[in-house]
Amino acid sequence: MALLTVSDLTRDFGGLRAVDRFSFAVEPGEILGLIGPNGAGKTTVFNLITGFLRPTSGQIFLEGRSIVGLRPHAVIRRGIARTFQLVKPFPRLSVRENVTLAAFTHEPTRRRAEELAGQLLERMGLGDRLDAPAADLTLGAQKRLEVARALATRPRVLLLDEPMGGLNPREVDEASVLVKQIRADGVTVVLVEHVMKAIMRISDRVVVIHHGEKIADGPPDRVVQDPNVIAAYLGTRVA
Amino acid sequence: MRRAAAVAVVAVLMMAPPFLTSNQFLLHLAITVLLWTLLGVSWNLLGGFAGQVSFGHATFFGVGAYATMILYLRLGLAPWYGMALGGAAAVLVSLPIGLICFRLRGPYFSLSTLAVAEIVRLIALNWDALTNGPVGLLITALPPVRLGGRVLDWESKAPFYFIIAALAALAMLATWRLSRARLGAYLLAIREDEDAAESVGIDTVRAKVLTLALSAFFTGLAGGFYGLYFRYVDPDAVFPIALSVEMVFIAVVGGLATVIGPVIGAVFLTTLGELFRERFQVGHLIFYGLFMMLAIRYLPEGIWGGVRRVWAVKR
Repeated sequence: MALLTVSDLTRDFGGLRAVDRFSFAVEPGEILGLIGPNGAGKTTVFNLITGFLRPTSGQIFLEGRSIVGLRPHAVIRRGIARTFQLVKPFPRLSVRENVTLAAFTHEPTRRRAEELAGQLLERMGLGDRLDAPAADLTLGAQKRLEVARALATRPRVLLLDEPMGGLNPREVDEASVLVKQIRADGVTVVLVEHVMKAIMRISDRVVVIHHGEKIADGPPDRVVQDPNVIAAYLGTRVA
Repeated sequence: MRRAAAVAVVAVLMMAPPFLTSNQFLLHLAITVLLWTLLGVSWNLLGGFAGQVSFGHATFFGVGAYATMILYLRLGLAPWYGMALGGAAAVLVSLPIGLICFRLRGPYFSLSTLAVAEIVRLIALNWDALTNGPVGLLITALPPVRLGGRVLDWESKAPFYFIIAALAALAMLATWRLSRARLGAYLLAIREDEDAAESVGIDTVRAKVLTLALSAFFTGLAGGFYGLYFRYVDPDAVFPIALSVEMVFIAVVGGLATVIGPVIGAVFLTTLGELFRERFQVGHLIFYGLFMMLAIRYLPEGIWGGVRRVWAVKR
């Protein structure tokens, strides 16, 4: 059975249909790339799955149980964690505290939560910045902090919203390695990304969304040759 | 351990004044400072830790004051139980207010609390049957209370001093506990970023409503105390916007999200207010306002925040 199933998901903003009968499934252990041109509805899909927005209609199931209508904190506690496209650290709190707060979801004592936070931050290469305020980190480091924070909730599915946006090429390579590591640890990953080269390289499967609708779903090498996808990104030739 | 010792020292200091002086005016001044301390500390729970800036806390003060007075005058309930029930009444009122206003964030939340406070003030002003309207409620004499074989002298300020000192100490203790509890950490997360707080599994609405209730409880107790101390309440005395704003000032000037900050704020602003009133008389509020502007410009973390920063640099 699919780990996460989205079926006929629809969301209207006033007269605008941002997501239109969008369906896809995430299999356990895969890295799924969700791509599409600007304004295609990718982030809206993430916001719908994590409860930050309510769908106009449609269903979302985690291991067969509906999670529609749950508030974000409850969705996270069911095992779906996320990062944000525009990073949202707790700026005046320390790097360690940022992650400790997330570890409280399953570690009742502060000592254990801080231990887990330390381990995760070490892995994200932030072991030497534990006491710095999160606001002092570079954008790349803040993105890694958000990943550590999301992982500290012990998710089964991790939704990454443009983890590589705004990073330099070296940081993009590091981020790719990191995503593969996370999957190797047993966390299923869905990522929205604009950095095409990276997403094509690390995704097992790619879903393409355009004007809120799914236009392609398959292995990266097949999706890039799909005429609909090419048309969505490059436009169609006026004959 | 060091913090526990500090708390003990503060507690002893707080109980000392009536043993040092029987000057009624000085005691009255000390009672005023402690009443404002209690209010600043209460407001700081929600405004300082959770970053939810309420401009409507006079509501809880007024509800506490009226509940205490009405319970005594209409039902003959001993005012000391009435004061506790005043706190409880403020909690009851805080729940719907929280559930409504916390749907909004930032400045919109602040404005909604201001609006609710005005609505509550107008209800108090117009519901004659319950509140006696603009005329207010008056207690002519407080019932005698025996303590350790002695009848307490309500004409003296000393018993009132001990009561308000105990309440302020209790509120500070609650703040201290909160700052070390998981809820306290959650509130700071909410202050920093509500979406991010939700994304790490924090039920932000629940945390905010709980904290508002705690804050309202202490504010309501303060209102009850006010009613008994002055033996008179009317809507303009206990529901004014100025009262809500003063609570904000005390916490901000003293230092947000700290145990001691609002205490410093209360001592400082009450003393300063009295000084200005004495010296400048008519125009004293102009100087008060000027001082507030300077404080916010140059000490954005409050007096206590500034002190701590200087300490950190020296060490």
